[in-house]
Amino acid sequence: MVDIRLNATINGRKVSRDAKPHLRLLDFLRDDLNLTGNKEGCGAGECGTCSVFVDGVLMKSCLMPVAKAQGATVDTIESLAKSGELSVLQKAFHKAGASQCGYCIPGMVMAATAALRANPFADREEIKERLGGNICRCTGYQKIFDAVELARDVQNGRLPSTALLETDTADGDVIGKSVRRIDAPSKVSGRLKYAGDMIMPGMLHVQVLRSPHAHARIVSIDTSAALAIAGVESVITSADVPGKDGFGVFVHDQPIMARDKVRYVGEAVAAVAAEDALTAKRAVAAIKVVYEPLAPVFDPDEAMREGAAIVHDYAPDNITKHIPIRVGDVEAGFAESDLVIEENYSTQAIEHAYLEPEAGLAYIDHDDVVTVVSPSQNITHHRHMLARIIAKPISKVRFIMSPVGGGFGGKEDMIYQGMLALLAMKTMRPVRLVYTREESIISTAKRHPSRTTLRMGVTRDGRIKALAMRMVCDGGAYGLSTEGVMRKAAILAAGPYNIPNVRIDTFGIYTNNTPSGAFRSFGALQTQFATESHLDIIAERLGLDPFEIRRINAMRDGATTHTKQKLGSVSLMRALDAAEQASNWEAGAPTVRGPTRGDLGHDDVRPSVTLGARFAADDKQEAAE
Amino acid sequence: MARKRGRGMAACWYGIARTATIDRAAAWAEIDDGGSAKIVTGVTEIGEGILTVLAQIAAHEIGVKPEHVVIGDNDTARAPEAAHAGASRQTYMIGNVVALASREARKRLVDVMAEMWDVSAETIHTGNGEIWAENTNHRISMGEAVACAKNRGVVPIGSATFGTDTTGIADGKGGDGSGRPWQAYVFGCQVAEVEVDTITGEVQVLAVWAAHDVGRAVNPQGVEGQIEGGIVQAIGQGLMEDYQLKDGHTSTSGFAKYILPTSLDVPRVNSIIIEDPDPIGPLGVKGIGEPAMVPTIPAVMNAIYDAVGVRVFDLPATPEKILLAMREKARREAATSMQAAE
Ligand code: FES
Ligand code: FES
Repeated sequence: MVDIRLNATINGRKVSRDAKPHLRLLDFLRDDLNLTGNKEGCGAGECGTCSVFVDGVLMKSCLMPVAKAQGATVDTIESLAKSGELSVLQKAFHKAGASQCGYCIPGMVMAATAALRANPFADREEIKERLGGNICRCTGYQKIFDAVELARDVQNGRLPSTALLETDTADGDVIGKSVRRIDAPSKVSGRLKYAGDMIMPGMLHVQVLRSPHAHARIVSIDTSAALAIAGVESVITSADVPGKDGFGVFVHDQPIMARDKVRYVGEAVAAVAAEDALTAKRAVAAIKVVYEPLAPVFDPDEAMREGAAIVHDYAPDNITKHIPIRVGDVEAGFAESDLVIEENYSTQAIEHAYLEPEAGLAYIDHDDVVTVVSPSQNITHHRHMLARIIAKPISKVRFIMSPVGGGFGGKEDMIYQGMLALLAMKTMRPVRLVYTREESIISTAKRHPSRTTLRMGVTRDGRIKALAMRMVCDGGAYGLSTEGVMRKAAILAAGPYNIPNVRIDTFGIYTNNTPSGAFRSFGALQTQFATESHLDIIAERLGLDPFEIRRINAMRDGATTHTKQKLGSVSLMRALDAAEQASNWEAGAPTVRGPTRGDLGHDDVRPSVTLGARFAADDKQEAAE
Repeated sequence: MARKRGRGMAACWYGIARTATIDRAAAWAEIDDGGSAKIVTGVTEIGEGILTVLAQIAAHEIGVKPEHVVIGDNDTARAPEAAHAGASRQTYMIGNVVALASREARKRLVDVMAEMWDVSAETIHTGNGEIWAENTNHRISMGEAVACAKNRGVVPIGSATFGTDTTGIADGKGGDGSGRPWQAYVFGCQVAEVEVDTITGEVQVLAVWAAHDVGRAVNPQGVEGQIEGGIVQAIGQGLMEDYQLKDGHTSTSGFAKYILPTSLDVPRVNSIIIEDPDPIGPLGVKGIGEPAMVPTIPAVMNAIYDAVGVRVFDLPATPEKILLAMREKARREAATSMQAAE
């Protein structure tokens, strides 16, 4: 491929450079010009992290071939605070607390800049529409809308520019004040370097070969053709692991690359380090693996049955973890109840979708310390596990936690750091791995899908007499955090209620699905979804207000939990009162009162959206009906 | 009427820091030349705002401005262990330990000044970058005080470790699960208002009122950010997100197929912060990251039921499922009314 000569004006400077024609504008900006402020969140035009201005128009640079920028004027996030002084909009993001992990923020700031350029008087609803192409996984968007409204008002002179300044802490007490985030300037300006933005001299690029099978024996791996490619420095498989292979937050059942067999589609099988990512990719394609397919098991209930395929030899029943909670005698409790209701609930697997895909660097430092830089949520534990895997003393292993572009539990697993460390050891050069969005989705942990049966017995006056819950979760191919998720799910399952008779069983089960792991709210989300839905069903049957049934059963100060722990102060009643008052809740049993309620549509409720309503007045009419 | 509104609520509880094990964290603090503070601890920001929270805590304890706190973090070879960034533990574990380390550093400095000024240490105060002794005219900047200490051969540093008084739970064979999994619990309650389009089955969550106990809010804006973000993630799971697998292969490997909440899907979130201080830690703080997500889904499902009389037991509550459930309900009702007519 012949390079093209690209002439363009980038961030106000003339640029004339050779570029590989297969590059996207985003690659050219990030890799060739080291303008790493704009990020690659998806590479498919879906997230907006790569948004830049091309001839003044907001564009997703991951969709644009570099040749299309010939002669164009391109402005990246770096152009907005070129002199070091943040733009009004960037200051407003800082002030409003609009950045959290920051990974979406450069793209979001570009989109917001475009929005206010298009309409300096845009109202909140229009701002929302104009930011519709940019995903943020952290903030819930509200503070982003606040920031854009603040910038708009300052720009229009409706608010003084002092509205952008720090909250006053002159009285000395800074706890309880909304001090501006100290990391926000680096995030709104795109200056913060995430692992995928970092480069080291002499750095090699890593690509991973992944399993196409859900369950198969690895008969052989032939890496010779891959190693023969010029520019390939090393190819590793599980055979190269010097120590005791295995990681996991609770049970160390996962090798850093598949050993003897693969257990899920997308599992790492081999990894390559090469001079550039394209060569590494070619080498991955040249690795020959012979698989012998094994019978898979995909359903956790089936996996628990006699004769099901066994995912891990150490767990012939495929149970990763069972957690029991027992209080009193549930059967006696049901017998005493006036009403017993049983229902089944289920929840699906979901993806963390942090905007920053996994990325990391590893190198061996001058003191022979194996150093891994990555957005790991648990550098302490990763260091322990890696030391054992690579057979080094812990003092010779160092983990540096790079800024995390969203984690939500998904970056607690040491899913790729082992490969990086091993390749750095093999090549004695720095190595870097950056996942694509697809790789991130297919190979990393999900929230545990669950199936729950819940049976609750109550007396006529609304007192819960007994609760029995059984939840079966698909833990997927490896243990990761399953044990802990099952434990937290069980401990919190019955909700903050005094219940004399409780029987809870949570099961985490091995299957050949994508592994499940830690995810914000860690099992408690699944079990309390069931319990809190159930309480409303019962409230309707008993003619009780939903707040009322919860108050009747609420734990109070000094309550004893279902794990028989005595609590001190319990703030549940305060929380119930506060939510009820703030929402102006109209009391009554949950008997489909919606159409008759008097508490709807106050001004602390957003207007409903009709897509395209801006253009079709008719729709507005319909919504009002 | 094409669109119907309804409301629902749900409560929650949650444990703060690691579950059913002893949690621990450590930090170092130094009051540096010029009167700034240096805090070193082993974790970093995952977006929740912990660096700002730690700067506020150190500033509060030492008596400097938050912008004069430098945080060295995130390195197993250069910082003391702070364990992991998760379990809603950052403000609780790291915040408390940074407070303790800062107190020790401050005490070193105060002791030097007490000796120099010949006053008792209890009469010395710090704040806003200054140090002074009450009822005297002794008042100097923290920078000057650090210089005084160093001239006497003292570097004002502190270190601390913070551990929880917790146990495992009896979850082995035949166990009843008893134990003390956490020392700090939080409680919360949310109300959701939704609008259901009865023609398309689409649900919009228009508002959520979220009341959560956080112990003590170090940075209220940060707490709101956690609540707002948690609620929107929960709405994603409740209404649209779905990682689908068939024979182990996913059909949702990109954001074109894996649908996430966008700016048009989010409710107005009205946060109510409740402060029921933790009696054990030095600051009274607890946590908010995870509990914020727990009540949202049932509150929304209860609200959908209130609006249109159907309940989704099987997440996510997609428009297809809502329509199907509404059709079944209509069929059931027609059948009963027919029976009644017979
Ligand atoms: S839209 Fe370009 S990276 Fe996602
Ligand atoms: S701040 Fe938007 S994705 Fe993290």
